[in-house]
Amino acid sequence: MSELPNDPRVDQAKASDEGLLDAHESALGKQHAPDGAKYRLLPIAILFTLSGLILFAGTYLNRYAGHYSARIFNENAKPSSGAPAAVKIDPVALGKTQFNAVCITCHQSTGLGIAGIYPPLAGSEWVNGPSARLIRIVLYGLKGQITVEGHAYGAAAMPVFGQVAGSAYNWNDEKVAAVLTYVRQEWGNKSGPVTADEVAAVHKAIGDRKEMSEAELEAVK
Amino acid sequence: MTMKSEYSPTDAASRWPLMLLIISGASWLVLAGVFALISSIQLHTPSFMALCPVFTYGRGVAIAETAFVYGWLANAGLALALWVLMRLSGEPLRAQNWALGGWTFWNLGVLGAIIGLGLGDLTGFELLELPGYIQLILFFSYAAIAIPGLLAWSGRLRRVSFASHWYAAAALFLFPWLLSIVHVMLFSAPVRGVLQPIVAGWYAQSVWTLVLAPLALSIAYFVVPKVTGKVLPSYEFASLGFWCLILVGGLTGGRHLVGGPVPAWIASVAVVSCALLFFHTFVVLLNLRGAFTAPGVAVKFIAFGVAAYVLGAVFDTVTSFHVVAVQTQFTYFDEAQKQLALYGAATTILFGGIYFAVPRITGKAWLSPLLVRGHLMLSLLGIMLLVISLCAAGATQSHDLLDAKVPFATITAHTRDSLVGVTAAELILLLGNICFLANFYGTACEILKISSPATFSPSSAMETPAS
Repeated sequence: MSELPNDPRVDQAKASDEGLLDAHESALGKQHAPDGAKYRLLPIAILFTLSGLILFAGTYLNRYAGHYSARIFNENAKPSSGAPAAVKIDPVALGKTQFNAVCITCHQSTGLGIAGIYPPLAGSEWVNGPSARLIRIVLYGLKGQITVEGHAYGAAAMPVFGQVAGSAYNWNDEKVAAVLTYVRQEWGNKSGPVTADEVAAVHKAIGDRKEMSEAELEAVK
Repeated sequence: MTMKSEYSPTDAASRWPLMLLIISGASWLVLAGVFALISSIQLHTPSFMALCPVFTYGRGVAIAETAFVYGWLANAGLALALWVLMRLSGEPLRAQNWALGGWTFWNLGVLGAIIGLGLGDLTGFELLELPGYIQLILFFSYAAIAIPGLLAWSGRLRRVSFASHWYAAAALFLFPWLLSIVHVMLFSAPVRGVLQPIVAGWYAQSVWTLVLAPLALSIAYFVVPKVTGKVLPSYEFASLGFWCLILVGGLTGGRHLVGGPVPAWIASVAVVSCALLFFHTFVVLLNLRGAFTAPGVAVKFIAFGVAAYVLGAVFDTVTSFHVVAVQTQFTYFDEAQKQLALYGAATTILFGGIYFAVPRITGKAWLSPLLVRGHLMLSLLGIMLLVISLCAAGATQSHDLLDAKVPFATITAHTRDSLVGVTAAELILLLGNICFLANFYGTACEILKISSPATFSPSSAMETPAS
């Protein structure tokens, strides 16, 4: 068969395997020193390319890697200070939660209580009266007879809710304030909110004590 | 140094495992083409073969991809890697029984996987649709096939190592590593939640960057200087390019998770790795640029493959950035990218390697020059049409998907024309591959005859004049 360099049936090779290995081995050890001042541009260009890519990689990761945090899913997220942001709690929402968990048993979801046993909150002069009295009722509880809207109640006692010795609930001042704020704007009540600071002031001034009575409350203005 | 002829007893003694690997690979390639064609028709004509469960789109695509990657690319890539390592070692392949045993079980495994997929037993992971029980078979059989290659590498007659050695040895070692990890983490002791897509994405990308691309490159690095007869330009940077691929290739897996429910650093590291990998691609282009001017069918395939490899790397890098990913993710662009890599780069380089290797393995010239040229033309035309059509479909889809007012049915209707182009491309590729398979079977049968030996001109371009 004749030799046809362009025969598509056989691709000719110009180099043998040994020649290929030797030539490339010696290419690696080649010295370019004799050329003196002549230097080759390409190797420098290649190294600059690699350096440029590494620079880009470092910069990009520094900016978009989200500090390698497992919790950052958005590459554009700003780095956080680490401390979780303080959350503002709506006192009405907190108060409603507290009310529905506990107070609702006696005072009912309507805020009307049960006639002759549990006094109403809706429209009550105690609830809509001075906040200093109301704070004392919830904080320290109430024993003995009390007159609400002309009806006398005395069959049940109001439990101690505040962080007071002997309290079954141990609500902090914020929770007491929240539940008072809630009842003072629910069921048609239109009185202003009670702040945690007000509760704290009363709590601090009185300290620990036993349940309040109607007479003691009347004395508070 | 005595000069060996291009066809030597070394090749003849190593013939059987290599030919069997190539012949099974070429057969899987045609099967993959048939399923790819059917699936592509269903994209614009959904009723086509819709009543036959095996050919429904979900199973058809999985079968096409599995037959293509594990049937064609793995078989042909391993054959050529073993051949290159054998040629460079200067001795016949040792432990050929391991390769034959591995070949048997690998292909039984692929067959089992395809039957399993046909019955609907598929996983949800890209490039790893094959059922879990098959993966164990593939793990052991790949390792068995790799043994002769590693023996040829470690027992080479001369201590010199060449770029082809590095890439081939890396691919032989890395696939069992990848497969074992992904099998444990997704099948035998599955990780939970968002870790699964991360592991699956890592595997899908690594099987390309760390196994299929190195297999193809080991062949390209061997064939190009053989044909040009010149030392590869800038060869001193080849090792830097190699280590760049090995070090960052596996980190590009998060590229498909950009904007997904994963920690931001995974996607960002992938973006950066894609950019760094560009250095590897740049070195490959510099080293192999001789392929663009050299004569011969093998080198034409390889030159096309190298061009597709570089283009694919640019594509990968550009689409990995968040701003571009918003447009291209979840569209046919992803498919275009995959086809550009697996078909445009890996497959064409393997074709070139096979056209170069088979006359040397068999000692017979290819049977039909017409079929060789036909395959070259149809392949290049088909791949260009395939990638361009998919990009066009992707562009239409991305434009429509970002507009909330366009209903899904309208988007599908808009991409119809481009998808017909995809079907045409799949048809052209299938025809080309049938030419290839026929020519290959014919040439393989020639081994049994005495006629039509391949004639090799002397290859002494790199011999040192002294000695």
